[in-house]
Amino acid sequence: MKKKILVVEDEKTLCLLYEEELSREGYDITAVTDAEAALARLAQESFDLIVTDIRMPGKNGIELITQIMGLRKDIPIIINSAYQSYKEDFMTWAADAYVVKSSSLDELKSKIKQLLGD
Amino acid sequence: MSELRKDLISGRWVIIATERSKRPDDFRPSGATSPAPEAPGFCPFCEGSETKTPPEVYALRAPGTPPDSPGWTVRVVPNKFPALTPGPPPPRASRGVYQSMEGRGVHEVVIENPDHALELGDLPAGHIRDVLRVFQLRIKAIERELHYQYVQIFKNKGKEAGASLSHPHSQIVATPIVPKRVKEEIYGADHLYRTFKECSFCRILREEEAAGSRIIAKNPEFTAFAPYASRFPFEMTVMPKRHSAFFTDVREDELGPLAEILKDVLTRLKKTVNDPPFNMVLHQAPNPSLSAKDWPELHLKSHWHFEIIPILTKVAGFEWGTGFYINPVPPETGAEFLRQS
Repeated sequence: MKKKILVVEDEKTLCLLYEEELSREGYDITAVTDAEAALARLAQESFDLIVTDIRMPGKNGIELITQIMGLRKDIPIIINSAYQSYKEDFMTWAADAYVVKSSSLDELKSKIKQLLGD
Repeated sequence: MSELRKDLISGRWVIIATERSKRPDDFRPSGATSPAPEAPGFCPFCEGSETKTPPEVYALRAPGTPPDSPGWTVRVVPNKFPALTPGPPPPRASRGVYQSMEGRGVHEVVIENPDHALELGDLPAGHIRDVLRVFQLRIKAIERELHYQYVQIFKNKGKEAGASLSHPHSQIVATPIVPKRVKEEIYGADHLYRTFKECSFCRILREEEAAGSRIIAKNPEFTAFAPYASRFPFEMTVMPKRHSAFFTDVREDELGPLAEILKDVLTRLKKTVNDPPFNMVLHQAPNPSLSAKDWPELHLKSHWHFEIIPILTKVAGFEWGTGFYINPVPPETGAEFLRQS
């Protein structure tokens, strides 16, 4: 069975890119554009891994992962932000990896494989 | 009228704005201290979250408890997403007139206790002594094994002081170069040593003891005082009476009195200015093996101490442009309020 990944990314073009690229790697991708939608999906179904942006309208990615940790701590989380500076926030430690966005998804794919044990 | 005061070691001038002198109440934030924003959910530093941190490099823990599990009292972990990565000191590269090097260094977090809400000054003196002993052990290990030139220990308490997490913690950052501000202190102390024929910090301590007006607390081993040219309201220095350049030289029998005076001044600060955000910074000489070679007799001239800087005013354009600071509370007044609390 395909492993399920929840992608939280407010830029719709990036959502499409992640859906296409990560589906090609054999994952079942659900992409949502804000934290509230992510929490709603998490309440409905289980995921094997979460990839989240930080800077998003409404609740940001750090608030989202903090809230997820309050619910369950066993889902691996990857922060995928354009900004290095959030690394200074120790709440990012709730995540298992921090990947800075780049034109290539190689590092993100590699971290996903590593965290899912593929 | 205001007064200009010169800091003896750094040569930095400060404007003590006595005519607009303020009382502790003027700095009290409205309402209670802001609550921990992350408290309702999850904290990576709390007991039970050990799997969310990198493996511990050191911990004081109950006998029989395995590493990275509950049962610890002080825990040291590497930064999970560090800006500097450990490794051999890198060579410098040149790009035209500019210099650079690989971002090598050590960045560790000392989680001071498992309880999210218990600040350093709230802990029993015995526990503070354990935290100080852990600082010493990590400094020794980093200096011995990794040969970094300078090990900085600091604590940011409160969001305004740079803390992203309210769970009490300190940080250790080791750099492959001696930072500029540390060098300035070394050069200042070196110059004054030749003038005074003794350690300038020992001289300051003697003058402060004689004047008395800036003393905040003391015990037979340590003195806490408001520096003569304090940059910030209620700024404090905690200094050992026994001359010593390196924090790692603090003896086992001195750690207890150090913990007691730190607890004392942090409690006074909390009471006087309603638990303000602050930075606590260790000043000490660079790695002894390197300083012996590059700065002969530094052990005679440098004198370790803690600096505690409450964040009650903003550093703005004038300070950035000139290096001058404007302090609206004369240190004598600040010390008096702290003594009376």
